[in-house]
Amino acid sequence: MKKISSCVLAVLMLVAAVIPVSATGVVPYDSYIFDYWEDIVLTPAPYVPGRSVTGVSVGAGAFSGPQGMTVGYDGRVYIADTGNDRIVIINAEMTETVGIIEEFYSDGIADTFRSPYGVAVCRENLLYVADSLNNRVVVLDGDTAVKIISDPQSEMLDEGFVFTPLKIAVDYAGRVYVIARGMFQGIMVFSEQGEFTGFFGTISVQITPWEIFWRMISTRAQRERQVLFIPTEFTGVDVDPDGFIYASNIDPAGEQAARRLNPSGEDVIRKGENENLGGDMGFILSAFNIYSGPSRIVDIVYRDKGIYSMVDTLRGRIFTYDREGNLLYIFGGLGNQAGTFRQPVAIEAFGSQIAVLDALRNEIMIFDETEYGRLINEAVGLRFDGDEAMAVEKWRQVLVLNENLEIANVGIGKAYLTAGDNLNAMRYLKLGQDRTFYSIAYKRYRNEVLKENLPAILTVLMIVAAAIPVTLKIVKRRKRRREGGEGA
Amino acid sequence: MSKYFTKEKMHYYRRIFTNPLDSFYEIRYREHGSIPVALICVLMFGLVFTMNRIFANFIVNDIDPRTVNGLTEIGAVFMMFLLFCIGNWSVTCLMDGEGRLKDIVTVTGYSLTPLIAVYIPATLLSHAVAAGEEIFYYFALAFGIGWTAVLVLMGIMTVHNYNLLKTLITLVFTFFAMFVFIFLAMLIFDLINQVIIFIRSIYTELIFRY
Repeated sequence: MKKISSCVLAVLMLVAAVIPVSATGVVPYDSYIFDYWEDIVLTPAPYVPGRSVTGVSVGAGAFSGPQGMTVGYDGRVYIADTGNDRIVIINAEMTETVGIIEEFYSDGIADTFRSPYGVAVCRENLLYVADSLNNRVVVLDGDTAVKIISDPQSEMLDEGFVFTPLKIAVDYAGRVYVIARGMFQGIMVFSEQGEFTGFFGTISVQITPWEIFWRMISTRAQRERQVLFIPTEFTGVDVDPDGFIYASNIDPAGEQAARRLNPSGEDVIRKGENENLGGDMGFILSAFNIYSGPSRIVDIVYRDKGIYSMVDTLRGRIFTYDREGNLLYIFGGLGNQAGTFRQPVAIEAFGSQIAVLDALRNEIMIFDETEYGRLINEAVGLRFDGDEAMAVEKWRQVLVLNENLEIANVGIGKAYLTAGDNLNAMRYLKLGQDRTFYSIAYKRYRNEVLKENLPAILTVLMIVAAAIPVTLKIVKRRKRRREGGEGA
Repeated sequence: MSKYFTKEKMHYYRRIFTNPLDSFYEIRYREHGSIPVALICVLMFGLVFTMNRIFANFIVNDIDPRTVNGLTEIGAVFMMFLLFCIGNWSVTCLMDGEGRLKDIVTVTGYSLTPLIAVYIPATLLSHAVAAGEEIFYYFALAFGIGWTAVLVLMGIMTVHNYNLLKTLITLVFTFFAMFVFIFLAMLIFDLINQVIIFIRSIYTELIFRY
């Protein structure tokens, strides 16, 4: 027995020595995706941890519970260093501090922040700061306040409402979108002049018949102790170049955590094959497992070519979708290793990199795209631009790295469909589990076959149609003859 | 062995398509039924059912073919079949049914034939439909299911010498009985599991102490 086990051990050691350590094995998290059946399929890492940026490494002194981060139009990175009551501005390479705003001047009087929570930059390079505990939004030009938004007045707001802005975004027209604490009616919109104009993107509450039934049979005392049916909260907000607002929210059902709001506040986001934009699917619900429950999406970033990413603070994962709502890749995780998070709160993207701000580690983790991630991003980008033929090349390269990626197969299949090669289109669309487009390809293929073989098919049908009565007559005659023979 | 597959018995098997009531009557009162033939029917149904789950076109088939295990599927079909037969037998025993378990098994097994006959062409047909045309496939399946249901109804009615209303009532009770069986089976499995865990924990406890 001992001999055998030592033999096995020797073989194992030999194998271990021969197999080279794969580069993806170094990544401290799993990268995966959900397939048509909502099963987890592991993928190569689309992004790998690069370096981390701390307050010390850029020479600004350690951060303290930073909550917000934004990238300006000039590439500079603005960080709301909430615990230190300051805004830190870092250069585009994220190597050194360009400026620190600890106090500013409004009407010539020095003023300070109290827990600045979110930051945003507009095209004119004005800095918008959600100064949460001072209950105001400060608009800064350098270190002078050009405008202060505070104490919004409206009939829509409750008596005694305290305005505590948390997250903030500014669109091309200077409208300010603010997510305020305890504000369930939606995102608060302020005009360029700083006047409160209304709520935006209100999420309606959906009560299931089952919940109505329970409320009907429960007593008043029970009802008072039940969970209130309040709309879900918005958690993060971003603006795309077309002026659409991308907003993330907490969805207890785990179905839709991202919204794309048009200027009138309607959700126009597109959902993919699985009809899910909620992050993790098939999560377990358990009181004992820290990994239970739907993803808690805390921030969203519009990247480029319709691609957007959002970060989950519950399991530390980053989910990326394309404009059609297809899940592209998932990576990231909680932990203490380099490249993992303890409490991710904000996500930003610039170029090929994704940066995530961690409020407990007080650092920004920067992820660099791998070849796999780059190919997917490029292919999606080319499709976004309408260049299907170029996209196919990219998708083919993606398939070499990950044969099981459904969107790659669908991408190739659709290109074949456009090119008129229906048989190949069917093959790839089937691999990609796209029933709608497979059917289109199949119908075309069927018509093609029918059209080509119509003379042959019609001839066969004619012969059969002619043969049936003749055969029947012959059979009948034979039967009669046999009966006649028996009778005789 | 050959007495189960005599020409006469096969004749009455074929006759369930043309004269079902008559044929079921012969099976019950003149011993013209064959249990092995019925069981082969169930096995065949298990096979075509598995084939359908694996090979039906993905337009109409949402199942991941990699997750289908033929033996499990056939086993499940047999389980359901036996559950139905025993459930029906235990109910009809109390409700003046004249049929024996043997007759119920035979009649139910024979009645699956239209389903077997329909599943294979339906699976083939599924490859000729596109999204929006699934109705042809589902219609074919519904045709087979309907025919089988009518045959089962007639068979149960004949072997127990019931009228239609009483047959329907016993069928409802049969489904209740099936649920009771499943419940009891789960209960027993759980209890046995508890006992095993108990004995195992005593064993580990003893090992750690001595």
